[in-house]
Amino acid sequence: MLRRSAISLLFLSLALTASARTRPHYGGTLRAEVEGDPWNGPDGLARSLIYDGLTRLDPDGSVRPALAVEWQSESDNHRWQFHLRPGVLFHDGSPLTAAAVVQSLNLSCNAACPWTAVRPVGSSIVFTAESPMPNLPALLAGDQFLVALTVTANGRPPAIPTGTGAFRFAGFADGLMTLAANESSWQGRPFADQIQIRTHRAIRDQWLDLSLGHADIVEVPPEELRQAQQQHLAAIVSPLVQLLALQVSDSGPLSSSMLRAALAQAVDRSALFNVIYQKQGEIAASLLPQELTGYAFLFPAARDLKKSSELRGGLTPSPLTLGFETGGTTELAAQRLALNLREAGFEILLVPASAATRTALTLRKLPLDAAPPSAAIEALLRAAGEAASVANTTPTALYHAERDFLDRCTLVPLLYLPRAYATGPRVRDLQLTASGTPDLASVSLEDAP
Amino acid sequence: MKHQIKLIWLIAAVIGVFTPSATAASSPWQEAAADLAAQIASILGPGQAHLTIRNLSAIPTDEIPTIRRLLEQNLKSHSVTASGADSASAIRVTLSENAHNRIWVAEIVEGSETQIAIVDLGPDETPAASPATGLILRRQELLSTREPILAALELPNALIALETEQIVVYAQAAGLWREQQRAPITVLRPQSRDRRGVLIGSANGSTFEAWLPGIRCASSIDPTSQPASWKIQCRATDDPWAVTQPPLDVSSSQPGSASGTVSPIRAFYNATRNYFTGVISPDLGVDLLPFYTLAQLPRPSSTAALLINGIDGKVQLAENGALKFVSGTRDWGSDFAILHSPCGTGVQIVTSSSGEAQSDSLRAYELPALEAIPASAPLAMDGAVTALATAQDLNGVFAVVRTANNRYEVDRVTALCN
Repeated sequence: MLRRSAISLLFLSLALTASARTRPHYGGTLRAEVEGDPWNGPDGLARSLIYDGLTRLDPDGSVRPALAVEWQSESDNHRWQFHLRPGVLFHDGSPLTAAAVVQSLNLSCNAACPWTAVRPVGSSIVFTAESPMPNLPALLAGDQFLVALTVTANGRPPAIPTGTGAFRFAGFADGLMTLAANESSWQGRPFADQIQIRTHRAIRDQWLDLSLGHADIVEVPPEELRQAQQQHLAAIVSPLVQLLALQVSDSGPLSSSMLRAALAQAVDRSALFNVIYQKQGEIAASLLPQELTGYAFLFPAARDLKKSSELRGGLTPSPLTLGFETGGTTELAAQRLALNLREAGFEILLVPASAATRTALTLRKLPLDAAPPSAAIEALLRAAGEAASVANTTPTALYHAERDFLDRCTLVPLLYLPRAYATGPRVRDLQLTASGTPDLASVSLEDAP
Repeated sequence: MKHQIKLIWLIAAVIGVFTPSATAASSPWQEAAADLAAQIASILGPGQAHLTIRNLSAIPTDEIPTIRRLLEQNLKSHSVTASGADSASAIRVTLSENAHNRIWVAEIVEGSETQIAIVDLGPDETPAASPATGLILRRQELLSTREPILAALELPNALIALETEQIVVYAQAAGLWREQQRAPITVLRPQSRDRRGVLIGSANGSTFEAWLPGIRCASSIDPTSQPASWKIQCRATDDPWAVTQPPLDVSSSQPGSASGTVSPIRAFYNATRNYFTGVISPDLGVDLLPFYTLAQLPRPSSTAALLINGIDGKVQLAENGALKFVSGTRDWGSDFAILHSPCGTGVQIVTSSSGEAQSDSLRAYELPALEAIPASAPLAMDGAVTALATAQDLNGVFAVVRTANNRYEVDRVTALCN
C-alpha cells in the first residue's frame, strides 16, 4: 500500500486511552496558547476562525466549496465565475454579497493578485486575467484571500474584525483574545461556546500551562517534539506544511547566476536537519516534497564545496546581508547557514528581518499547503514573489517547472517542516487543516455540559 | 533442414523479443513499462545503455525482476539494448510514489547531460482484509463519494444517499450502484456542525422519506417511466422525525406510504445541536433525557422495548413502562443499530467504537438481560463511523464511514454465523 499523506497522529501520552467514539458535545471554553500573534497569517489561529474563503482545502489537498458553492472557468481559464452560497451572514447580521466579497478581495492582494480584474455579477464573482488561472480555486483557499467585511451599513469600516466564520471576535485584553461561537454559522454552530487564545506566550510557559490544566492546546515547534515526548505531552503532528528556504536576491551583489549557484551548493542541509531541527521534517532540495510529487529525489541535496568553489571562480562578492526572524530556531538556523557560506568564501552579515530592510539573502518559511501539486507550486512561487501560472499538471511538466525555477537559484530549498500541537485531556476530535493549523471549530470538549 | 531449424530459431527469437512472456503479458506493469520505454527511447535514440532500477515505492521486491524484464523487452522493441556498466549511456529508473499515485522516473544520462522521463501509474488500490473470529461481521462497500453522506437506505430497486444538500438515488447496473438521479434539498437552513439525517423506507419498499434538522423530504415514483423517475419534495417542518425503520413487506400495496402499516417511533430533534430532545411519540410513559440514538429491540419479555443512548453516554432500556440502565456499554459509541441474523439469539446490536486514532470498529452485542454481551470480534472500518442504520430487510446495517482521506463510504454490514 502507498504511504498515505493523511494527518499523522502522534499520540505520545500514555494517559490517552482509546475510548468509545461518542458524538461531540456542545458548550465550554477552549483555551489555546500561541507564541506569536494569532492574527498574522498564514498560521494565525484567529483569522481562519473568524473568516472564510470562497473555497477551502481538505487535508488531502482537494478543493472544496466554502462561501462559493460552485464555479466554472471559461476562455481557457482566463475567466472564472464563482457562485456565492445563499443565506450567509456576516457576524454583524449583514448579508454576504458579491460586492462585499469583491471589496475584500481587492484589499487582500492589490497588484499581486493572480487576476487582472474581479467584479460582482449578480450573486456571483467573476475573475478575469490576461494569463490563464488554472489553479484559481485552490489559490482562493489561501489565507490572504479570506473574506472580511470591509464596510458596514453606515459606510464605515467595522470596529472589530468581522467575517462569516464559525467564531466572532468578542474582545482582546491583557494578551487574551476571546472569540464567541457564531450561532448562525453556515457550517453549523461550532461545539465550543468560546475560544480564548493567549498570545505571545513562550513555549515553555505554554507547556507548563498545559500540564497544570490551564491550557487545552499549545504549540510544539517541530525541533522540540522529542522534548515533548519526554514530557509525555499528547502531540498531533501535521504533514510537511512549511518550506524553510533561503531567498536569494538576483540584483546587487548576487546578480551573477554563477554566484547564486555557488551559494546554493554551499549550504549544508544535513547540519540544519540533524542539529538545529533535531531530525524533524525532511531535507529539501525541491519545492515540493516527495510525498506530493514522487520525483523530489531528482534534486540533489548534498553540499558540494568543490563545485561551489568552481562556480564562484575566484569571485568574492561584497558582504552579503542575511535577514532572519529573531529569536528561536530560525535565528540558530541563520547562524548555521552563515557559517556554511563563510566556509565557501562568502562574507555574511546577519541582520534581523524587517519590512524596511532589503537583504541579499532572507531565511523564510513558506507555506506548503496540501493543494494539488500544480497549485502548491504556484502558491509557493507567488509567496516567493514570482507571479507565475503553472498550467500543466503532468508530473513531467511539474518537474520541469520546478527545475526551471530552481536553476535560477533565487530560492534555495532547505527543509520541509511539519507543525505540531499538544492537547490536554479535555480536547476531542482535533484535526489539522491543510495548512497544518488546528481546526478549532471542529473541536469539542470532553467535559462540556 | 539446417535452414528450417535456423528459421524456427529466428521465429522463436523474434517472438521472444517482441512478445512479452506469459507472466509479463499479464503483469499490471506492462502499460507503464511500455510508456516509460517509449519515452526513454525518444530521448536516447537507438543504441545501448546501462539500465539500473531502484525501488522507492511499496512495490514488493519480488516484482522488480518482472518490471526489469518488461522494461528491457519494451526498450528492445525501440532498438534500445540494455548493456553492461561500461556503456556510455545510462538509464536510471526509480520506482517512486507520492501520496496518491505511483510514479516511475527514468534519468537518461548521456555524458554530462541528464534528461528525465516520468510515467504516472495512478493510484494503488489494494483492498484490506478484515479479521474473522466468532460471530463474524462482514462489510461490503456499496458507495464511495467525496460528498458527506448523512444516511443511506437500500430499497428493493434503489440505493438512496442523503447528503447535506442533496438526495442521490442510485440504481444497480452490472452489479454496481450507479447514480441515477440527484435532487436538491431546496429548503436549506444552517445545520448542526455534527450533521445528522435519517432515511426511512415505506413498508412496501417503493418510496422513502428523509429527515434533516428542520426539514422533511418525501418521495414518490412514477412506476410507468423506465428507468424509474423519482419526485422528491422537501419542506421546512418542526415535526418529530421518524426514527425507527418499518420492516419491509413487499406484499403491502400502499405505494407512496412512507410509514406503511407499522407506525414508526417519532422523536423531536434539536435542530441546532446533534441530538433528540427526549420527547417521543407515542409516549412511553417514562421521561427520557436527550439522546443520540434510539432503536426498537425485539425482546422475549415485552413487545416493544426501546434501546436509548443518552447524551450523557448512558444506555437505557425502556421496557414495560420502566427505564433500566444497561451495563457493559462502556465501549459503545453514540450510534447503534439493530441487526437480525440467524446467529445466537437472532438479534444483535451493532455499535461503533473507536480503534486507532483515525479509525473506528464495529462490534455486535447481544442483550439477553440488562448486560450487553459481546457477540463478535470488532470489525475494523476504514475511518470514523458517522452514522449507523438498520437495513429495511433487518438483515444488515448500513454504516457511513468518513475515511482518512475525507471520502465517505457506505458499507452494508451483515453477520456470518461461525
